[in-house]
Amino acid sequence: MSEVVMQISQVTKVFPLRDSKVGFKAVDSISIDLHKGEVLGVVGESGSGKSTLARCAFGITEPTSGGTTILGESLVGKSRKATRELRANLGFVFQDPAGSINPRMSVYDAIAEPLMLAGMDSASIDTRVNFLMDRVGLASSQLSRKSHELSGGQCQRVAIARALATNPKIVLLDEPTSSLDLSVQAQILNLLEELRRDFDLTYFLISHNLDVVSHLSDRVAVMKDGVFVEVGTTRQVIDTPKHPFTRELIRVYSGASCEFDLDTWQDGPLNRWAFQNVSTFLPTKVIAASPEPLSLDIELDANLDAITIDVADSTYTLPELLADVDTDSIVVVRKGVLVYEKYFNGMTPDSVHLLQSVSKSILGALYAVMAERGVIDIDKPIAFYLPELVGSVYEAATIAQALDMTVAINFSEDYSDPQSEMARLDRAAGWRTNTTGHDLGLRSFLRTMTASGEHGKAYQYCSANTDVLAWLISEVTQTPYQDLLTRYIWQPMGAHDDASVIVDREGLSVGNGGISCTTRDLARFGLLIVNGGRANGEQVIPAAWVNATFAGASADVESADYLQALHPGGSYKNKWWITAGASREIFGVGIYGQYVWVDPTSETVIAKFSSLPIPVDGVHSRKHMALFRAICAQ
Amino acid sequence: MSTVLKISHLEVDFEINGVITNTPLRGINLEIKAGKTLGIVGETGCGKTLTATAIMGLLPSSAIQRGEIEFGNHGDITKADMADIRGSEITMIFQNPQSAFNPIFSIGAQLTMVAQRRGISDIPATLTARLESVGLRDPKRVLESYPHQLSGGMLQRAMIAMALLSSPTLLIADEPTTALDATIGDHVLTLIAALQKREGFAMLFISHDVTAVAKTSDEIAVIYAGRVVETGPTSEVMKSPQHPYTQGLLGAIPSAEKARGTLVAIPGNVPSVLTNIKGCAFADRCSLQMDKCAQEPPTVQIGKQSVACWAVNS
Repeated sequence: MSEVVMQISQVTKVFPLRDSKVGFKAVDSISIDLHKGEVLGVVGESGSGKSTLARCAFGITEPTSGGTTILGESLVGKSRKATRELRANLGFVFQDPAGSINPRMSVYDAIAEPLMLAGMDSASIDTRVNFLMDRVGLASSQLSRKSHELSGGQCQRVAIARALATNPKIVLLDEPTSSLDLSVQAQILNLLEELRRDFDLTYFLISHNLDVVSHLSDRVAVMKDGVFVEVGTTRQVIDTPKHPFTRELIRVYSGASCEFDLDTWQDGPLNRWAFQNVSTFLPTKVIAASPEPLSLDIELDANLDAITIDVADSTYTLPELLADVDTDSIVVVRKGVLVYEKYFNGMTPDSVHLLQSVSKSILGALYAVMAERGVIDIDKPIAFYLPELVGSVYEAATIAQALDMTVAINFSEDYSDPQSEMARLDRAAGWRTNTTGHDLGLRSFLRTMTASGEHGKAYQYCSANTDVLAWLISEVTQTPYQDLLTRYIWQPMGAHDDASVIVDREGLSVGNGGISCTTRDLARFGLLIVNGGRANGEQVIPAAWVNATFAGASADVESADYLQALHPGGSYKNKWWITAGASREIFGVGIYGQYVWVDPTSETVIAKFSSLPIPVDGVHSRKHMALFRAICAQ
Repeated sequence: MSTVLKISHLEVDFEINGVITNTPLRGINLEIKAGKTLGIVGETGCGKTLTATAIMGLLPSSAIQRGEIEFGNHGDITKADMADIRGSEITMIFQNPQSAFNPIFSIGAQLTMVAQRRGISDIPATLTARLESVGLRDPKRVLESYPHQLSGGMLQRAMIAMALLSSPTLLIADEPTTALDATIGDHVLTLIAALQKREGFAMLFISHDVTAVAKTSDEIAVIYAGRVVETGPTSEVMKSPQHPYTQGLLGAIPSAEKARGTLVAIPGNVPSVLTNIKGCAFADRCSLQMDKCAQEPPTVQIGKQSVACWAVNS
């Protein structure tokens, strides 16, 4: 690679804040080298720190720490004269061309000014200005004009001519085309490339526009929250983006349709938006937060980012693996202390995300409370409480069998087959368009389910079993499902934020996967389990139920191959998955990568949301297991 | 499919002291189908926003308007009393939500005023449900907030909620994402698409950003200097643009795939609105210019696209 012309090392810029001792860290120890003749493009959104970085690097703003060397000489600690000489190597082009030219100056004066300051004689200035005008594609007839008489594109040409007047080696281009129309932007981008080639310039390009950056740059750095989340050659970054934010940017700029489709919202890439926004396209009911939320002590463990995880013949760092499994958010609570927390894809601690089938595990906990209070007897057949299900599979199947997924039912849980019972269930719940004229609501769908054999013998995962239980409990108590969750789980466990649950056309809650909540509240729910059912000093769910869940299903129950392949000796009990691993972990899991992971041995709880492109596959499941176990082993 | 809005031969002149100073709209023909999105794309000063202003009946008194704007079963609304239609059946969202809200009233107060005007009963419940439907998770806080207390993305959502309070037939979105970061803007576009699917309103989507228009629209209309130069289904126009200007615009989009320095750069600039245009307004910048271009090109049909160009015509 050619020689380094600019070396940015450990640049940090902290802006003081009135009510904070630490201040706002706009740029967090960034180091990067610029090589002669290359274009380094920094792409990021507003507030990412890209302009501050450039200002620090080019000596316009004093960095809090770190600094820049230009052609081997440091910008810091020089005399005024030496600094000025060093700065002659630098040129600047800014976003607003009209604003960067003195409105009282003619085009000639604007370009000549830096030359005069450099001490050039007037005849040479004349020659130089005319040369530059020609090179930026302006006619000499425009020399006497002022900036308001020029179009935006012409103004930017003048700004470029002025930036190049003193023959700089390195030019800062800060959003050089952002205020220009598309056709004019193309003219300026072509011009910048032509000048770079002819004058052997090095560009430090900053833009929010990924198209502009990837078009002009040799290397791209993606900036977010003051750091480079990804740096690589343009091809590497565009073709094999590693960081979720880079992927999101590429998707946004790909022109992929924003057309919302009720039949594909669960798949990637629409799920990246949809899982955080179900209440905008499906009816939901509120599960209310606690008036006294459980506060979480936060002591972030910086070591976690450095752990390496081996899975499927590859080694990942934790951030790499999080990116690989399309993570939207993760919260890790160890011994009651929040030690790790990351948000991607527009999520924040306040954002809710769809739990998918992790919702089932919350229903399991509610049933524990209801059974203990004697509201229901879980060994009774479901139709005992819902007589209208007489004649269906639920006439004989018991509540306990539905909780443990041992109902023998004609039900295909195939998420990809539009004819499967799972797809019918989605249509009945309103999760897909339903033009069939039947399955109008969960109740009418559930009535049609039939038995396939003897219940209680074999494990068979079936989402409908959970919907029937959500219906049953609200029928028995004559209370909406969301209100039961509020009263018996969400508020007692100390939820900080409202959650919600999707309801069908008749207002019946979708028990199998309709809950959305914040990542921290999902972690609070995990905390309730790891603490033996206790929260805020109260026994919220019975300890015996928690112990029974950890113990797993009876060995008499026939398991399924896929479960044994992933968790040898593992089982499904009370709407939880039991790993039978050395640490006795249990977990709730939802399609497209939603998890609550409870490890009683290390007293660790992990809540994690993703928007994987496909619902289930062994590869992603294994990566998640490895990720959780590596975190818990710390 | 029924037509919600049909604009025929819309022309707008500006007149000062009896003298016509310029003609920024020189014959706009557009049609929007129920529940569908028409995207208008064009560069600064081509007449995008002016078209929207004319539909809303908000042109200044110095404007002289000709042509017809037929809306639903109201017929030609250019002479109708717009007060009942504007803000109820046709609503609008703007580029800059900061300036669309009054800074001295809370969001709740402003939404309430709109709801009262539209005769909505049970206003608090309606407002809460509306804000939730646009993905604002804490409606109570949003209602209590003043515009400066919300982020750009949140304000944009609040404005969408306000525009949809009256369940309009047509939503005009004028550069709704231009002031937002790309990823936030994308979320807002997806939100609008989801709401449109759920509520069935038609949309006129105006933007200078070809990519944003292509993402959201069923049909595209490319405007240049006050005239529609090409319309057609979005996929067809994006795949095989017919008008030299559309071809130039699409060729001008930079990308990692295009070799550096080789973007299609349409020479010159968009003509100033003060220019008195004769014939094809694009002729001066067009590589296919011919003698006939001194006359106004007729609009011809090529497949599903309509194109106003002599070169395509011959």
